[in-house]
Parts: sequence; structure tokens; C-alpha cells
Amino acid sequence: MLSIKDNKSKKLEAALAEQLKKDLDAQAAENVNEDELFVLADYDAFAGEKTGYSNYSYWRSTLQVFFKNKVAVFLLIVLASLLAFTFIQPHLPGQYPANLINNNPQTGKQLSNVAPGLTTVVANVPAGTQLRAKSVKGNDEWYAVDNVMESLKARTKFDIVEYGADWCKIEYKGETGYVKNNFQTKLKLPDDPTAVPYESRSNFKIEMYMQPQDYTNDGNALYAHKDQLTVDEKGNAVAKEDLELRVIPSEHAFWFGTNNIGQDLWARVWSGTRTSLIIGFIVAFFEAVIGITIGVLWGYVRKLDRILTEIYNVVDNIPQTIILILISYILRPGFGTLVFAMCLTCWLGMARFIRNQIVIIRDRDYNLASRCLGTGTAKIIMKNLLPYLVSVIMLRLALSIPAAIGNEVFITYIGLGLPVDIPSLGNLINEGRKLVTSETLRYQLIFPAIVLSIVTISFYIIGNAFADAADPKNHV
Amino acid sequence: MLKYSLKRLSSSLLTLLIIVSVVFILLRQMPIEGYFDNFDKLDQASINAKLNQLGLNDPIPVQLWNFLKGVMNGDLGTSARYSVGAPITGLIAKKAPISIKLGVMSMALSLLMGIPLGTAMARNKGKFWDKIGTMYIVFINAVPAAVYYIFIQMYGTSALGISMLFDLNDPITWILPVFSMALGNTAYYAMWLRRYMVDEMNKDYVRLARAKGVSGQNIMMKHVLRNAFVPMIQYIPTSLLYTVCGSIYIESLYSIPGMGGLLVDVIGRQDNPMVQAIVMIYSCIGIVGLLMGDLLMGMIDPRISFVKKEGAR
Repeated sequence: MLSIKDNKSKKLEAALAEQLKKDLDAQAAENVNEDELFVLADYDAFAGEKTGYSNYSYWRSTLQVFFKNKVAVFLLIVLASLLAFTFIQPHLPGQYPANLINNNPQTGKQLSNVAPGLTTVVANVPAGTQLRAKSVKGNDEWYAVDNVMESLKARTKFDIVEYGADWCKIEYKGETGYVKNNFQTKLKLPDDPTAVPYESRSNFKIEMYMQPQDYTNDGNALYAHKDQLTVDEKGNAVAKEDLELRVIPSEHAFWFGTNNIGQDLWARVWSGTRTSLIIGFIVAFFEAVIGITIGVLWGYVRKLDRILTEIYNVVDNIPQTIILILISYILRPGFGTLVFAMCLTCWLGMARFIRNQIVIIRDRDYNLASRCLGTGTAKIIMKNLLPYLVSVIMLRLALSIPAAIGNEVFITYIGLGLPVDIPSLGNLINEGRKLVTSETLRYQLIFPAIVLSIVTISFYIIGNAFADAADPKNHV
Repeated sequence: MLKYSLKRLSSSLLTLLIIVSVVFILLRQMPIEGYFDNFDKLDQASINAKLNQLGLNDPIPVQLWNFLKGVMNGDLGTSARYSVGAPITGLIAKKAPISIKLGVMSMALSLLMGIPLGTAMARNKGKFWDKIGTMYIVFINAVPAAVYYIFIQMYGTSALGISMLFDLNDPITWILPVFSMALGNTAYYAMWLRRYMVDEMNKDYVRLARAKGVSGQNIMMKHVLRNAFVPMIQYIPTSLLYTVCGSIYIESLYSIPGMGGLLVDVIGRQDNPMVQAIVMIYSCIGIVGLLMGDLLMGMIDPRISFVKKEGAR
């Protein structure tokens, strides 16, 4: 804000200085002899032409006015980069396919609900830590590591060497290790805490760890890169350097986390944005084609006026939402159905607007003159009528994209939208909606919602700014 | 006026008839599973028997005629899957009052919020409140309703410390659904009211009033707002449609036992007769809304005349 104020005061200063200078010049000129003021110019054909020619161009002025709107330009850049990114994203290195269910290669379990993060590292281990390593099937770059020495069956007896609230140091078959002491294992306190070791046992299966720390990710092994470990034949490993333990044998993180069946949300969000944008563009395209055609016929061809007005009245009387629901209900859910249902109603507003405008301008004198001179109907429509309407057509198109995306969300919400294997923003939000009760899983709703809001708000503001810019009243 | 009203009414009735027929014919194209609650277990003979009993093997015009006769007697058929064999009129009669109550409350709330907002925006044109209001309008118009409804439910319920679901007997749980449904209409009213008020404020009679020494408050309330309010009447039908659409979302989001939630339910269960009945009711609401808007407009603004003037082209 401050910089804007500064700019303004600078401008004012400059204007003031100029005014002063002009006044001074005028005063100086008063003292000069009149003959010295004017010099006869030679006839210059080029300069003569110059005044008769205006370099006003409609589109250039439109763009000029548009680029003065800083917010709209900023959003245009955001939107353009977002658009480009949705199409580039699958081709970037290290991206997961949107529908790939990511499994933990060791356990075969889905990596479900992995929290969003910039890395896959979940734990750091100092150099020299002892671990156990297993090779990963089909992947010789990574080891699956944990620090479990042995799994003890339920009711196995062992000796507790040192009792702690969270971890107990135990001895079992001549080896010392640590076991968790929690509500599940419920290791009993010794009668005399100084009388160690004493015999104890757990009612459940219990794991013996090398350190009083669990590097197993709830029983699923973590992964470490082979360069950072020295591993002997028995599978005992030592960290060569400070070691990063990861949830998956890959450095590519789930930036937006994963959903409950282990699909990468980052890939799904961009794939969904792509689907939604494609739906938006297709609907906008058909809105333009159908709406303009019907609108022009309706306005220009007098015989059709009555019929089309009646048709319009009937269709316009039903809430559009209901038509959408009805069509999606009758046809098989899918991309085509969705687009078809939206196209069935989207042309209404456009056609009516164009019809009204054309009725207003079709009988203006210049059109009458054109007709008298024998200009064809098609040419009159293309050259005389439509250019008038470009600004509002553009506005309606820009607004119909967010509307189409919103409709897609709505239809998916009531269960008639795209199948889940075609990610779309509606699908993702609908999936995320079911998880709102859990605070840790809300990211699955928030990420798609943010992307969706950015896209729709950008289109809305850019559309309005462009319509303002395209209005010749705003051209200077 | 009377002549116009009658004409408008008859055209609405005709539209209604066309829409009912089209919806009816379209829904005949559905797979017949939607008429049975245990389709997989039935053999061909019993399927045919049931279809005959429901009259679905008759030619479509006959079916349509029977259906219309039923509607005239207040019979919309029976539910096939949602609540097997129950008459639809009864099911809807139980649910409709809740929807109507919520809808009326939200429309009243949106007027209560939209008019002051629009007035404040017009009075402070280009200043802080105008900008805040514009941001709000852009947000509501651009972002799909589903998204902010969900977020209101998520954060609103935890802020108020209440359950996420609706409870008929607990008035606190009514607040969020009604508020959410009112948001769209509030933005709509505020946007148009601001536009009309700004238009009025630039007119000569306002300048004259100011020159006479009428206070700014008086000009705003007695002249500008009143004149700007008349064209707002024509937005009643649209706002009714907004409310209807919002109710479908909101009712299923908060599990409100109303018509909108019912529609989502029966779509999920593919209950053809129920879908048909509710879709038709919603279409009727649309038609009635438009009709009301037109008639109100004629009653309230004496300058509007529906009779062709002599010599008018």
C-alpha cells in the first residue's frame, strides 16, 4: 500500500513541476516578438496523412486496459502456470501415476493415509546404529531395515534387567535387548525394584528391539539406501553415516500424502484438476457454439422467434440442477454423460443474451444499409453483429468454466458423477468429505479444495476483468 | 392485470404439463431394476407379473394418462426400494414441512443479511466495506457451494461445540444449515441491490433532494433503497432456485430429514418412482417461483404495464 501512495505522490509532484515549467515558458513566450514564434512549414504529404489516421485498434486497447488490472494479471499468470503444470506434471520425473496403489513392498500392505510431507523420511538414525536389513524384492538400491532382534511368542519367559516406564531392558537367551512397556504388554513391576534381574513375561507377542526406540513403522519395515549401510550375510547392518529411514524405497515423497488406499494425492489432485478443466473447457466450447448459433437464429430469423421463445420458456422453467440430476440419473455415469447433461442447459443464458442484443441492433441503419447493398445474411451476422458481442461472450465463457467445475462437484456429490478411477476435483472433494471427522486426515479434503478454489476464483476474476476491458466505454 | 395473470398462469400450466410428460417419458427409459426391491432373485414370470401390475407394460401414453389421473387424486405412486410399497405422497408429506421451514428461514436470513450488506456497499462505494463485500460476492459466486458448505460444517460445528448432524429438537443445530443456505442468496441480493442503488444515487431527483437539504440517511432510506428494491423482486424466482439447490446439498450433508436429502437417498438406491416424483416436485417449484416473480413484479411496480399500449410497436 505504501508504495502505491509513494507512486501517487511522485506522479503529483511530476505533474506540478510540469505545470510550473509550462507557465514559465508561457511567460517567456509573451516577451518574444510574434514573428519569431512561427516559421512557415513546407508541405509534407506524410505529416498530412498522419492526422487523418488513427492507430486505434480494438484488441490492443482491450489488452491495454486488461493489463492495467494488476490482480487479474496476477491471477492470469497463476492460472496459466497451473494449467501448464497440470499437463506437464505426469511427465516430470519421479511422479506416481494417479491411479497407482502404492504398497509397502515388504508387507504388501497399502501405504494408506500417509501424511503429507516433503520427504519420505520418518526417522533419522545416528552413525553406528545397529539395524537388521533385508533385501527388497525387485529393488537392489534399497534395504528394508528394522531394529527388531527377535519376536518372542506370547507368554515367553524372559528376564528384565532394568525396568522403565516406556522401555524395559531384558535378557533373553543370552542376548540383551529392549521391549516396549505399554498398555498391551503390561510388564509387571518387580516386588523389589532393586532386585534385578527378575523373570517376567508378556501375554501377547512381543518384539525385542536393539535400542529403546522403534524403527519399524508399526511393524512395517522402513527403508534405507544401500550406500549408507554396511550389511553382513546374516542381515546385521550398521549405519555408516547419519541414516535416513524412509516409509518407501524411494526418495520421491507424497507431497500431498496418500488416500486411504495408498494412492498419491499429489498426482490425483493434478490429474483431477486436468479432468475438471477439460470438462470446463468442453462445456464452455459447446456453450459458445450452441448458444451463439441458437441465439443468432433466434434473434435474426423472425419466423423462428416464436418457436424458440416457447422452447426457451419450457427449458428455463426447470431448475438447471434438476435437469443435470435427471440426465445423469438416466444415462450411465461417466465423462460423456456429465458433459452432455451440462451442455443440455448451458446454452440457455448465452442464447437469450445474444438474441436480445441482436434484436436491438439488427435494424440499425448501418445494417439496413448493408442489407440494401446486398450483403448476405451470414456476412452481416459475422461482420456487423457478432463483433459487438465479443466482450460479453468472453465473459460468459470465462464464467461457465468455474460453473461447469462446480456442477461436476455437485453431481459427484449426489452420487451420479465420474467413477473414482477417473480422478476429478469433484471426486477428490467427495472422497475427502467423508474424512472430515478425523482431524489428521482432513488434508485429503483441504488440498483439492484449495486447488479448486484457486482455479474457479481465477477464472471468475479474469473473466470479469476481461469483460470490463473489452467494453469500449472503458477505452481511453 | 387480471388478464395478464390468467394468461401467465395458463402458460405456466402448459409448461408444467410439458415438463411432467418429458420427465415421465425420459424416466421410462431407465432399466426396470429400479421398480423392484429384490430384482436378482426373481424369475422372468414374476418380473412380468409385477410389471403388469404396475402398468409398466402398457404403451407410454396410457401410462402417462394413468399417472396424471393419479396426480390429480393426490397419488404419486408407491416407493419401490426406499420404503417398499409406501405411498410416495405420504413419505413426502412427512419430509416437505422440514424443507419448507428451512428454506423459508434461510431466505428470510439472506434478506436480513443481503439488504444491509448491499446498502452498506452502495453507501461506501469504492471504500473498505465495498471491497470486503465484493470479495465476499466473488468468493461465493466462484467457489462451488459444496466446498464452503463442507468447511462451514467442519469448522462451524467444532466452533459451536455441537454435533455435525441435524437434530430436529435441538434449535442450535438449525443455525449452520440455515446460515449456509443463506450465503448464496445473500451475495446475490447484495450484488444487485448495490448495483441498483448506485444507479439510483446518480439520478437527478436524488441530487434535488440533497439540494433541498434532505439528510443523507433519509435520501438513502426513503428514496434510493425503496426505488432500488423494486427491480429486486424479479430475483425472487432465482433465489428460490438457489435455495432448492442448496437444500439438496445441505440436507444430505447434515442428514436433515427433508426433501433434498431424500432425493440424494433415492438416487443412491435407484428408486425410480421416488426420483420421478421428487424431480417433478422440484420442477414445479421452479415454475411456481418464476410465476410468482412475474406476478409480484406487476403488482408492486405500477409503472410496469402488461397491456400493449396503443400505437406501441
